[in-house]
Amino acid sequence: MASIDIAAIHKSYGIHPVLHGIDLAIKDGEFVVLVGPSGCGKSTLLRMIAGLEAVTDGEIRIDGKRVNDLAPKDRDIAMVFQSYALYPHMSVAKNMSYSLRLRKTAKETIASVVARAANKLGLDPLMERRPKALSGGQRQRVAMGRAIVREPKAFLFDEPLSNLDARLREQMRAEIKKLHKDLGATSIYVTHDQIEAMTLADRIVAMHGGIIQQVGSPLDLYDNPANLFVAGFIGSPGMNFFEGRYMLVDGKPVFAPTGGVELALEAPANLSDGSRATLGIRPEHVVLGAEGPETQMAAIDLVEPTGFGIILHLTLGPVSLNAFTLDRRFLNATGTVAVRLPANHLHFFDESGRKV
Amino acid sequence: MQNGNPDDGFTCSPQWRISTRPTAAKKHLADALAPYLYSAPALILIVTVMLVPLVLGISYAFRDIQLLNPFSGGFVGLDHFRTLSQDQNFYRALRNTLWWTGWSVLLQFVFGLILALLLDKPFFGRAIVQALVFLPWAVPSFLAGLNWAWLFNPVVGPLPHWLFAVGIMSEPNNILSDPQLAMWGPIIANVWWGIPFFAVTLLAALQAIPRDLYEAASIDGAGPVQRFISITLPFLAPTIAITVLLRTVWISNFADLIIVMTNGGPADRTQIVASYIFTQAFKRLDFGYASAIALVLLVLLITYSMLIVVLRQWLLSKD
Repeated sequence: MASIDIAAIHKSYGIHPVLHGIDLAIKDGEFVVLVGPSGCGKSTLLRMIAGLEAVTDGEIRIDGKRVNDLAPKDRDIAMVFQSYALYPHMSVAKNMSYSLRLRKTAKETIASVVARAANKLGLDPLMERRPKALSGGQRQRVAMGRAIVREPKAFLFDEPLSNLDARLREQMRAEIKKLHKDLGATSIYVTHDQIEAMTLADRIVAMHGGIIQQVGSPLDLYDNPANLFVAGFIGSPGMNFFEGRYMLVDGKPVFAPTGGVELALEAPANLSDGSRATLGIRPEHVVLGAEGPETQMAAIDLVEPTGFGIILHLTLGPVSLNAFTLDRRFLNATGTVAVRLPANHLHFFDESGRKV
Repeated sequence: MQNGNPDDGFTCSPQWRISTRPTAAKKHLADALAPYLYSAPALILIVTVMLVPLVLGISYAFRDIQLLNPFSGGFVGLDHFRTLSQDQNFYRALRNTLWWTGWSVLLQFVFGLILALLLDKPFFGRAIVQALVFLPWAVPSFLAGLNWAWLFNPVVGPLPHWLFAVGIMSEPNNILSDPQLAMWGPIIANVWWGIPFFAVTLLAALQAIPRDLYEAASIDGAGPVQRFISITLPFLAPTIAITVLLRTVWISNFADLIIVMTNGGPADRTQIVASYIFTQAFKRLDFGYASAIALVLLVLLITYSMLIVVLRQWLLSKD
């Protein structure tokens, strides 16, 4: 187990910059999830930590030791690949023991370590099978078994659940979390799935365009997104945004969406009068069927039942707005509905997209 | 015809059936014949151009067929095979065939594999090089043979002088006329000519290996040699088996280069079974004896192929 320090990491392919100065300190035993859309550089960063990609500039330290120029095998890390990357001509047992056999570990030690890992992952009855005779979930377990037998300094996961179906993904997610609790190993997990990020992470690193957008606990990112990107990326259905102008009318705070009706606000925001801004609110925080002076009438365009709750697609003047409710009365709602945007759930972003 | 059950009370005369249901009977017949009609053109072609000549050729092995002897053609039983079992030239040709085939296949395979591994790495202009590598394969074999024969000829070719200059040969002689070395001439030409086949098939197999396996292995602690042994070789094994099998059969039958370069000489030192058959049939015009040798070669090659197939099955069942 070890800490991992990433300092001012840059990566470019030829003249194409991919990562623009990444700084990240990962504590011993921490589970960190790198999340972001495709092409944000999260996998590249992980592969650089693994040693599969060269570092253009900056420094990576594992357990305090600079590893920039070390071969993958000398970094003492283990990696679980999206495609599992199991050796197809080796049995499960051989797959799991390969790294130990390469290190000339004693036969008895290998046998006991592999048996323990197999037991932990429920692979005992499959040890003599070839990977092609296994299901996706079983292959995934073998890939994890191969990683844990070595007791490496850190585990790297590269979208390990992307090839599984939804049900299995849930199950494996829980198993990974349990495994991490058991082993307490430093883990870096790359995913584009925000549910995986939210459920697994001690800390989430949200990335976009080769830059870290925000680092924080899952609820930090949900409650206090640092900027428009994080606000829009975390949460499902996604946050509603209104572009417009923040104003004080007769001393009362008002938000005027571009081309829309002015929204009276319950509390003033940390913005100057007349400045351009974006207002955000999560669909689950929109209050439906409210009464009072701050309510507005919104037209119902579409009703989407998800089973657990209902997503309402609304229009408020010219701007559209999604609302999420657990109240089944809205299942057959038509016409208009009164909505209120409670002040404590409003997020304001300034012109540059930063949260204020 | 439908299954007529005599006990079901509905048995009826054939006339009744034909008169009342002619279309059904016709359709049934057409359905039954359809597969044979569809495959007939191909089957007829195969029978006329392959099976008939094969059977004819086999029958020659038991007859006295000499083109220049109008009284030949009679059945001689196993006479040809008795002669063959005493024929020292045949045994020498058999030994030469093993030598020729073994070295040709081995060197073609080794150089082909090295070339494939080099071409698998990305470098500038790889596509062009990959295309160029295939070029020797496109050269007609007798042209390749003539060119190599000239290259080995000290009067017009540079090779003997180079070999002399670097001290491999004591004087710039033609190795094709040296009984000890003559076989290496056609073997070198054959290796040059056959490398592309191995390079291209092995390259295709190499490129089908998932890259992340190599990455996983390098993280697991495998160096380049270990990665080659535990990933590349197992993935290539089926391709290696089938290409080596095919090439062995082709090369042991492949007399073009030998006929062109040495014509079996000097003193039969480069005579392989295939060229010996050629000599017997088209130089001595003794088709009966040539057919007998060909039959023996056929049996040997079939035995070899069956051995490989059985070996492959056994290896697969072990998995």
